[in-house]
Amino acid sequence: MHPAFSVILFTVISGAGYGLFILLAAFHLAGIGPAMSHGELLAHGVASLGLITLGLVFSTGHLANKKNAWRSFMRFKTSWLSREAVFAVLFYPFAGIYGLGVLLQGAAIGPLPALAGVIAAVLAVITLFSTGMIYGCLKTIRQWNTALTPANYIMLGIATGATLFAAIATVFGNATTLHAGVAMVALVAAAVLKGIYYFWISRVNGPTINTATTFNRATVRLLDTGHTAGTFLTDEFGYDPRKDTIDNVKMGVFLLGFVAPVLVFASILSGAPAGIAWLAAVSSLVGIGMERWLFFAEAKHVVRLYHGAQTCTNSLAEPARGRTTVAPVTDPTDARRWELGDTPGGSGS
Amino acid sequence: MRLGLVIDMDTCVGCHACAVACKQWNTSGTTGALTDYRPYGEDPSGVWFNRVRHYEVGDYPNNKTVNIPMSCMHCQHADCVNVCPTGASYKRPEDGIVLVDQDKCMGCNYCAWACPYGARELDREDGVMKKCTLCVDRIYDEALPPEERQPACVITCPAHARFFGDFDDDNSEVSRLVRERGGVKQMPELGYKPVNTYLPPRITRPIPIDDVRANRVVSSVKDWVNKMVAR
Amino acid sequence: MSALPEFENHSEQEIKYTTCYMCACRCGIKVTVQNNKVRYIQGNRHHPINKGVLCAKGNAGIMKQQSPARLHQPMRRKPGTERGAGEFEPISWDEALDMLSTRLQKIRETDPRKLAFFTGRDQMQALTGLWATQFGTYNWAAHGGFCSVNMATGGLYTTGFAFWEFGDPDWDRTKYHMLWGVAEDHASNPIKIGLEKLKRRGGKFVAINPVRTGYQAIADEWVGIKPGTDGLFALSMLHVLLKNDQFDWDFLVRYTNATQLVVQTPGQKGDGLILRDEAGNPLVWELEQEAFVDGTQVDIKPALFGEYTAPDGRPVKTVMTLLAERYLSEEYAPENTAKITGVPADQTERLALEMAHVAFKETIELDIEWTDSWGRKHDKVFGRPVSMHAMRGISAHSNGFQTCRAIHLLQIMLGSVDCPGGHLAKPPYPKHVPPGIKPAKECAPNTPLKSPPLGFPTAPEDLVIDDDGNPLRIDKAFSWDAPISNHGLMHMVVTNAVNGDPYPIDTLIFFMANMSWNSSMNTAEVMDMLRAKDDSGEYKIPFLVVADAFHSETVNFADLVLPDTTYLERYDTISMLDRPISEPAAAADSIRHPILEVDRNVRPWQEVMVELAGRLKFPAFTNDDGSRKFEDYKDFIVNFEKEPGIGFLSGYRGKDGKTHLRGEPNPKQWEAYIENQGFFVHHLAPNQQFYRFANKEYLELAKHAGWVGKTDPITIELYSETQQRFKLAGQGLYDGPQPTKQEHKDRLTQFFDPLPIWHKPLEQTRIDEDEYPFYAVNQRPMFMYHSWDSQNAWLRQICAQNYLYMNRGKAESMGIEDLSWVWMESHNGRVRVQVKLIEGCEPSTVWTWNAIGKQKGAWGLKPEANESNKGFLMNHLISELLPKKGDPVDNITNSDPVTGQAAWYDLKVKITPADPEETSTWPDFDTVKPAPGMSEAPDQLRYAAHKPVHLNRSIRDVLTRGSLDEDR
Ligand SMILES: Nc1nc2c(c(=O)[nH]1)N[C@H]1C(S)=C(S)[C@@H](COP(=O)(O)OP(=O)(O)OC[C@H]3O[C@@H](n4cnc5c(=O)[nH]c(N)nc54)[C@H](O)[C@@H]3O)O[C@H]1N2
Ligand SMILES: Nc1nc2c(c(=O)[nH]1)N[C@H]1C(S)=C(S)[C@@H](COP(=O)(O)OP(=O)(O)OC[C@H]3O[C@@H](n4cnc5c(=O)[nH]c(N)nc54)[C@H](O)[C@@H]3O)O[C@H]1N2
Ligand code: SF4
Ligand code: SF4
Ligand code: SF4
Ligand code: SF4
Ligand code: SF4
Ligand SMILES: [Mo]
Repeated sequence: MHPAFSVILFTVISGAGYGLFILLAAFHLAGIGPAMSHGELLAHGVASLGLITLGLVFSTGHLANKKNAWRSFMRFKTSWLSREAVFAVLFYPFAGIYGLGVLLQGAAIGPLPALAGVIAAVLAVITLFSTGMIYGCLKTIRQWNTALTPANYIMLGIATGATLFAAIATVFGNATTLHAGVAMVALVAAAVLKGIYYFWISRVNGPTINTATTFNRATVRLLDTGHTAGTFLTDEFGYDPRKDTIDNVKMGVFLLGFVAPVLVFASILSGAPAGIAWLAAVSSLVGIGMERWLFFAEAKHVVRLYHGAQTCTNSLAEPARGRTTVAPVTDPTDARRWELGDTPGGSGS
Repeated sequence: MRLGLVIDMDTCVGCHACAVACKQWNTSGTTGALTDYRPYGEDPSGVWFNRVRHYEVGDYPNNKTVNIPMSCMHCQHADCVNVCPTGASYKRPEDGIVLVDQDKCMGCNYCAWACPYGARELDREDGVMKKCTLCVDRIYDEALPPEERQPACVITCPAHARFFGDFDDDNSEVSRLVRERGGVKQMPELGYKPVNTYLPPRITRPIPIDDVRANRVVSSVKDWVNKMVAR
Repeated sequence: MSALPEFENHSEQEIKYTTCYMCACRCGIKVTVQNNKVRYIQGNRHHPINKGVLCAKGNAGIMKQQSPARLHQPMRRKPGTERGAGEFEPISWDEALDMLSTRLQKIRETDPRKLAFFTGRDQMQALTGLWATQFGTYNWAAHGGFCSVNMATGGLYTTGFAFWEFGDPDWDRTKYHMLWGVAEDHASNPIKIGLEKLKRRGGKFVAINPVRTGYQAIADEWVGIKPGTDGLFALSMLHVLLKNDQFDWDFLVRYTNATQLVVQTPGQKGDGLILRDEAGNPLVWELEQEAFVDGTQVDIKPALFGEYTAPDGRPVKTVMTLLAERYLSEEYAPENTAKITGVPADQTERLALEMAHVAFKETIELDIEWTDSWGRKHDKVFGRPVSMHAMRGISAHSNGFQTCRAIHLLQIMLGSVDCPGGHLAKPPYPKHVPPGIKPAKECAPNTPLKSPPLGFPTAPEDLVIDDDGNPLRIDKAFSWDAPISNHGLMHMVVTNAVNGDPYPIDTLIFFMANMSWNSSMNTAEVMDMLRAKDDSGEYKIPFLVVADAFHSETVNFADLVLPDTTYLERYDTISMLDRPISEPAAAADSIRHPILEVDRNVRPWQEVMVELAGRLKFPAFTNDDGSRKFEDYKDFIVNFEKEPGIGFLSGYRGKDGKTHLRGEPNPKQWEAYIENQGFFVHHLAPNQQFYRFANKEYLELAKHAGWVGKTDPITIELYSETQQRFKLAGQGLYDGPQPTKQEHKDRLTQFFDPLPIWHKPLEQTRIDEDEYPFYAVNQRPMFMYHSWDSQNAWLRQICAQNYLYMNRGKAESMGIEDLSWVWMESHNGRVRVQVKLIEGCEPSTVWTWNAIGKQKGAWGLKPEANESNKGFLMNHLISELLPKKGDPVDNITNSDPVTGQAAWYDLKVKITPADPEETSTWPDFDTVKPAPGMSEAPDQLRYAAHKPVHLNRSIRDVLTRGSLDEDR
């Protein structure tokens, strides 16, 4: 899939925002960790809402007809994109009430704003889940069509949110080992989940050029796509990064996205200044940005089979594996005949 | 009704007539204009609803070339419609035609992602998704003579490799062809239940030659004895 | 759901019928017009050619009308600028026509040969030919000489009709079809319609072609033959038929010259000619009378085989004996031909026997009463349902004439000529073998030619040469170089004119031909030749007129450009005097008429020709009092009569429009055609549909309609005496003109033969085949017409770059990867091209689509267009002369030695990888400048004839309807 910059920004930023909000709500409302000052609470809240909103604004970036964006709420019934939009919007009033409570009442908010906060946090999780499901529900992209996709979206949101949470806390001198610990746990969990995902997609299978063209018993190769230049389809789905680019970026994902932040937090735990949590936050965001790029770049839409890809994991340029070794069928009653070429004996030289 | 197309891979010569007929009809039709980008420059491209692709099956010399025209399959399980957030994409209950309401589409491409068959193309100028309408603006136009109430791609096909009809009607030509010729679906494993069905190349009838093979082959002109054939 | 809106405002639309001209197939179209804009072009269901269907090109007519390459006004080369620099200035039509007619007047008064008028992909040769005849120059021909004259000549000198536009397989009845070397053909839609009928009926379709795309994709059996070897393959199948005693004895005896006796006196005059009585009738050996009798008589029982001694003591053999002797020879045994053709022996044998089975064991019988030429009634028609069709894969080789004859020979042996299920003629064919017109030999000032410029020689006397044996025509047609060049040699005109060989000319008119580019051999040199000047600084071709509708590469070289209309803007006829739109069972012709108003200062070439003919006072265009006979083209078509009652259009004649085929002019003839959807069909009665070479009712009708000159039966010429006469001339054994140069003698003795022969394509005999191991051929893409369609915004999206296709296994063995760039080099030059690998290609063959490559800036395309930067032409590699060896043959045309057919597909090349950074095509020519007045090519197109009517989904439906499976 062609990685759209706006979608990468959107999912990474708003994902972190939701993650941040979830942690804020968890720490604040469940009373985990040190008490937060009014200012700190507000900072977390503003940051998370800001990131979420910024992300959503970016998300419209890839819409070709923005004036109809509002209509995306209409098909909640069947569309995960619609659901995401609805949940994302639904999140705001609850988050708003909670935020208002914090604004007016500080840490000791009343039950109503607190309840709203809990609901908003749940909605944040659901929104992340929906975002994941936008991709996860597509049978056409085997690399995405797995429960790992929404799981990853949720976990990566929480992990990036946790690094931010820890970083913001440092501003208020309120960072604790718990912050670092939670972030490390989240990062490790996300890394494990991502690892599982990468392992999983290395083994996905599904339709092939054979099932796509209906010719199942012999090698099928594309001769001509019927157009010289690219089309919407090849632009959108024809993205084929080089294998070494993929590997390098994947390395970057783990190093910047997980290893570096975890090391930062580990060093904080072993005495380094808490302020370097910002490094972890930035590093994880960059790493997850790379992850998001990879998420698209490695996804191979099945329509590519019509453009010559042999399987739904192959690049378009990968040749058919081997030549068909099946002997030509000369018995005219054999149903395989038409699939194999029809010239008994052929006319080779 | 379950309207759709049958495409005969046994007679399709890959001429692209259906693709251009579709372009021609639709650029002034309900989904038009179908924008062409760089029409006279480098890498000319544009919005098409029907594209003909060419494949080779098997290796030389046991190879066969097949031409596969593809447009919207008007799937029974059209995930392209399910995923559409705006409701712009819809499947008509009365005949199963899958359409896009251009006035509602926000151009998010999501439906195109959900379509396994590459049937949807974004018109970058209009910012909306466009696709085969099964020529809904022809097939129901009562001002047209009945024989012309067919998709543009079907009436134009010089090799009569395209058939339009109701798959719910067992007696329709499309149903009969699918039955008799063992119609196949593309990527059935994805579960979209495409309506459009492809007919595989036929098996050729064997032609006996033993009855024309001489028992004793002629080796010289002298072997023939003149027959009394009147001029 | 709610009711559907009204999508089309039919009250604003008008439906008009005319004839497509996106190619020469001439399908009927139904055009919906809205505000002088085309809404939709579809096939006309009632039209005999396409029966409602329309090809990709026909469907893109709208974009031809939108083309930025359309010329807008007459122009002349800016005085003081060089030819080919593309500097033009607009002039008025009056100026243009004055300039041209003054010049032509002078030529006509002095030496009319100094005008050479050659036309490309036109369909109005009856008019242009008449014009040249009236002008008095024999230097006229159309594109046939470089196109497919081998097929025409091969057929017209054998069965009296031909593949190509003169005959069709009986698609409704044939059970076995063999397609030889066809990618698309002129009969684009009819072949597709036909193949579908055949396949759906369960018939077998065998494709003989080194490449498997297009039609071959749907073939039941593909014979991936090596290019140029089909003749041998055909004769090898003939060998199998003879070996197995499978041929139609009755057919051969009745309708062919198989029983005629051939004189066997090698080395003496008269050898190989048919034994004749005093009256010139061929003699046969009568089996009952045991005597030589006049072979034209009926009810005699002639011997098919036998050797006899003629009354004058000369030994004679029947044609069939000679034929069997030759083809029974082991040389033609499948085991031996396999090495050359690449077709395995068992396949060759099986295919021959399969045809025999279908012809003889699955014979068709129709209860049709018919009368033969001798007045005998028959109550049945028998059909041998094997049919064949062949085109440029055969004709574009220098052995194409002989190969075409070999294929006809197969048909004749199977008895499948003009019979049900076989190969059927299309009126006005068949004609007598060959048609009785001889090419004009004399030009005189202010005098029309005595006969048309082109004709059908049957003996050296008919050649258009001077007393010294030198060619008289500028293209050297009908000379010893190519004696039976029925369609001329358009591909030689520029070279010969520039070399002043045989003489210099003054004015060259090209109509509808892209002669500096895709239609010329040796492109780069032709461009130089067009610019070539003599010592005095004059252009060697002093004045070049180009009549074209679009800004082609050739327009750039013109001194005077006469811009034409498009096919939707003009009157035109597809005439019975030319190549009409007939079907086997119906004579038919058609018209075009303006569907759209002209929005530029352009004029139909038809009008220009009639205007010039009037100004130059051609006799046929002038009244006795010197006034103009015809007001305009429409008037000319209505009132011109070739002979009493016969005009360009055969339908709706007579004052009341009720007489057809022959009748007085009808002033309302155009209106009648327009009312009848642009065409006229005369259906033949069932008894006129078969065996037309000896069908009384048909031949009488044909005579009445002016299709044939006499009602005598047409004898199919298995054995071509014409060929033998030329061979004898080569051997020095002919009573009449004989060549004096050795190279001509050799050509005549080697390549002329009364029975088909196979010889290596000429280029291959003059190069080192080890150095150039690949055969290089072209195919027509189904969605592009020559050079015309790269200006078409829709069609060029399908293909804006052509690749060189190579067999995958072969390429990989040479280390050549898919999509890599390679050099392709011939004896004549080299081009850099991008490779695509393909399974369906005979390994020693490479191929590409024809005419995709464009000169930068031509055709309204931007200089960065793919066609000019990545696409290529094979033409740069093909020489118009034979490969140089330092002998006199060096200067002979690279053409079939019999017909002068350009040997495009004889080309052999070598392939070597290009450097990795070389990723564009080469050679790279100058960028053509746009012509004045041309519209700028837009960066985006959004064509629509009316506003779209959107199909809206109700909000309620959006909100309420759930997932889809439940809905159903
Ligand atoms: N769409 C379209 N239609 C056209 C035209 C066009 O440009 N576009 N041009 C028109 C014109 S002018 C013409 S002349 C006709 C020509 O129509 P075709 O006869 O179809 O001409 P080509 O495309 O040259 O096809 C030649 C075929 O012969 C094969 N071939 C080459 N060499 C050999 C050989 O030695 N033996 C055999 N058996 N096969 C061989 C090639 O692979 C190719 O498939 O088409 C007409 N129709
Ligand atoms: N390498 C290679 N070369 C080939 C061949 C091949 O197979 N291989 N095939 C050969 C054959 S068979 C042929 S027939 C020739 C094609 O020979 P040409 O007859 O030269 O065909 P084009 O170049 O397509 O078209 C000629 C011109 O007609 C103009 N034209 C189109 N419509 C109109 C109109 O309405 N009015 C006027 N006045 N002009 C119009 C176009 O603009 C174009 O400039 O190419 C030959 N060249
Ligand atoms: S028009 Fe018919 S033959 Fe041509 S590509 Fe389409 S389906 Fe195939
Ligand atoms: S083919 Fe694609 S666009 Fe058409 S209904 Fe099926 S999924 Fe939707
Ligand atoms: S692009 Fe338009 S039709 Fe497609 S999913 Fe988005 S809103 Fe729906
Ligand atoms: S049915 Fe109509 S819209 Fe669909 S592919 Fe055919 S012509 Fe195009
Ligand atoms: S074959 Fe196509 S381009 Fe040619 S006349 Fe027919 S419809 Fe027109
Ligand atoms: Mo041609």
